[in-house]
Amino acid sequence: MRAHPVRLAGVAVVAVVVLAPLGLVLYQSLLNAPFFSPAARGSLAAYRYVLGDSDFHGAFLTSVIIAFGMVAIAMPLGGLLAFLVARTDLPGRRWIEPLLLVPIFLSPVVLAFGYVVAVGPVGFFSLWVKALIGSVPWNLYSVGGLILIAGLTHVPHVYLYTASALKSLNPELEEAARTAGAGVWRVALTVSLPLVTPALVFSGVLVFFLGFELFGLPLVLGDPAGILVLTTYLYKLTNLLGTPSYHLMAVVAVAIIAVTLPLVYLQRHLLRYANRYITVVGKGLAARPLPLGRYRWPALVLVLAWLAVTVGVPLSGVALRSVVATWGEGVRLTEVLTLHHFRELMEYPNLIRGIVNTLVIGTVGGGLAVAVYAGIALVSHRWQGRGAMLLDYLVMTPRALPGLIAGLAFLWIFLFFKPLAPFRSTLFSLWLAYTVVWVAYGLRLISSALYQVGPELEEAARVAGAGQARVYRDVTLPLVRFGLLGSWLLIFMIFCREYSTGVYLLGPNTEVIGSLIVSLWGTGALDLIAALSVINVLLIGAGLAVALRLGVRLHA
Amino acid sequence: MPELVVEQIHKRLGGNEVLKGVSLSLARGEVIALLGHSGSGKTTLLRSIAGLETPDAGRITLGDRTVFDADRRIEVPPEKRGLGLVFQSYALWPNRTVFANVAYGLRLRRAGDADVRRRVGEVLDRLGLGKFAERYPHQLSGGQQQRVALARALVYQPPVLLLDEPLSNLDAKLREEARSWLRQLILQLQISAVYVTHDQVEAMAVADRVLFLRDGRIEQEGTPQDMYEHPASAITADFMGTNNRLTGTLGAMADGRGRLDGEDFGLWGRLCSPIGVGSASTAFIRLERTRLADGSGENRLAMRLETSLYLGERWEYLLTRGGLRVRAWGRAPLPPGERWVEFPADDLWLF
Repeated sequence: MRAHPVRLAGVAVVAVVVLAPLGLVLYQSLLNAPFFSPAARGSLAAYRYVLGDSDFHGAFLTSVIIAFGMVAIAMPLGGLLAFLVARTDLPGRRWIEPLLLVPIFLSPVVLAFGYVVAVGPVGFFSLWVKALIGSVPWNLYSVGGLILIAGLTHVPHVYLYTASALKSLNPELEEAARTAGAGVWRVALTVSLPLVTPALVFSGVLVFFLGFELFGLPLVLGDPAGILVLTTYLYKLTNLLGTPSYHLMAVVAVAIIAVTLPLVYLQRHLLRYANRYITVVGKGLAARPLPLGRYRWPALVLVLAWLAVTVGVPLSGVALRSVVATWGEGVRLTEVLTLHHFRELMEYPNLIRGIVNTLVIGTVGGGLAVAVYAGIALVSHRWQGRGAMLLDYLVMTPRALPGLIAGLAFLWIFLFFKPLAPFRSTLFSLWLAYTVVWVAYGLRLISSALYQVGPELEEAARVAGAGQARVYRDVTLPLVRFGLLGSWLLIFMIFCREYSTGVYLLGPNTEVIGSLIVSLWGTGALDLIAALSVINVLLIGAGLAVALRLGVRLHA
Repeated sequence: MPELVVEQIHKRLGGNEVLKGVSLSLARGEVIALLGHSGSGKTTLLRSIAGLETPDAGRITLGDRTVFDADRRIEVPPEKRGLGLVFQSYALWPNRTVFANVAYGLRLRRAGDADVRRRVGEVLDRLGLGKFAERYPHQLSGGQQQRVALARALVYQPPVLLLDEPLSNLDAKLREEARSWLRQLILQLQISAVYVTHDQVEAMAVADRVLFLRDGRIEQEGTPQDMYEHPASAITADFMGTNNRLTGTLGAMADGRGRLDGEDFGLWGRLCSPIGVGSASTAFIRLERTRLADGSGENRLAMRLETSLYLGERWEYLLTRGGLRVRAWGRAPLPPGERWVEFPADDLWLF
């Protein structure tokens, strides 16, 4: 069947919304002043300045080092956790499994703040350890510390893809190896892992470009030691020359995208191989887990240790910091407990608005975003044409944009296109940016729900006399209702978590918790940050609880 | 006027030409079976008729309405063709009751509530599903689901019913019952139908005419009897029944008969294709026509009985002579040893 005009129109709309910000960034990078300045002329001056700046070189190098370091930590650990949870009789793996994904839903800026107050130079744990052994044996504010924390918090990304590949492997492949005489570890190393290598490589590339997009962690953890990465370098440029140095920022953005965009497309290419060995065996795939024997408990300890370091330490830090009046050497915890910070929040209308806006953008905005994603998914549903492939590339393109840059680009869009200007200081601007930044993620959620609908269920309705739109209304959408609900919950959490996209769009009426924390970080208002962080975690925790209660799968 | 005419349909799927110019015509009240191996293109042809696939070339006419014509760029979407289609997987909507599944086509045709209730009730009763109207598909057995799928396709009285391997998801015993039940229903309702199957017995039982598809072309078509008793090619002969197969060269010819010369034997059979003396030939004989004989005679071979297999309603004998292996059927077990096997010349087809 030929491509329907509605489908082509859908592709055109997506193309405009995705490519306009990119185009504007590129355009701005080729000017010698902000685009709204009358003096702006086409020029390579901005490139000359940035590429000649030694701080930029340093930031670029640090970004590369951090990205490689993250891969080196996250890939082996994520692969191991995936094998333990998906394939072995690890004790308690049923309740461990959702916990493993928690770091994905926590705001990096909250996590970073949590690490500062927990294991920073005067953090809770640091001082307790110092009291015990006389000194703090670690230095959080270092490239090493940054790599370790970024690596550990990105383990879930590797875990996710590897575990889902492991789960869809035909268990008979492993059983055949065991029957032939291989022990558990031998099976893991010679059968299971080689079969999921494509998925591992895929997630390795993912972690690498996420490393390039890192913002919250280096902002908070790198700042005290003067460590700059590309995104924080860009952030520092904001007010470098007194006037907005948009042309310089655009060049840095182009530099980041030049690295991440090819990786995103490489990832899509890898995806084709990622499931090469996956045989979709129908039901009854419940394989007997491989017995770990005497390694059962050590394995559990390893998993719990990782959970403690990645979730326990920062969250307990945030929680503690939000209920103490002050903290430092010689302070006794029991003497400084207070709920004052939460009351103090009430005195700042912008903070209250931030909390309300976060809720609104999570619930209403999340719902609208799911509707948009569902619309895009239906546009390309069962469409084999070239347009569908184009759409596929279009929707993954925003993945190459760190939230910080996407927010900046949308700010420019709202400044550049005059008819849009009135929306700049409304939640709509934020919602649009969020929706575009997360379009690839959201589409994956919805496509995987749509994928479950057998084509013949739709064909049966077609033959019975229903047009395509009617088929979607009567058959497809009712069948994916639960999938849509689940997607809404996940998008709610993701939107509540989001912080970097809102940084440049932050203004009266567009405050959200995440971007407020970033801006408060600059002022050193730790008490307020702690209280806001706790509220943020609670919002996400509530979403997570509902999702788990309803049995929503936490990944696509 | 035929209900359905398909002319010279060509279709490529992924660089592979699945249909290479298939034509057929379906008269009112007639049932034709599209028979073939998997990959023969039979399902693609059925889906092209339904409008779910777009052929690359050819024409499809329903009654006096052209629904597809590649040259004139006519393509009527599936929902406007008004056909009924029964899917191999049944494709019942799991979120709707039996009643709602069946009623859907009527609702799309804007039938009134009372009318919908009456007509759905009628068709459900007719198919013995009356008491399941409020159940959901997963609460039904495979056979019942199959009948719901049929009811859903029949309820709006389509001019042509398309069936895609409708019985292949049932287990063997149920399938045989459903086969005769389906044939009876089709006769009663005077349905015109195209029936896709890979099972030659099912095709012969259900259809008035069988089209044997092979490699995207119609290898042979005819009544079930024609197809079974007068196959035009070795491939049809092989596909339509259970055969013994003998290879050799054509040694002599006389009165439409030929002599197949094998390693150390010569057997007379009916010449079924234009081959010359001295050329390689393959002979087919149905298992049920291969007989054990009392002694030597015309067209008989001495063979060694290796073993007898018990199949319930009969015994199967496994016989060998050098490299030649032959199977035959009988009523009693026999001890291994030398036997005479008769290959009646009329039943031994030479290709």
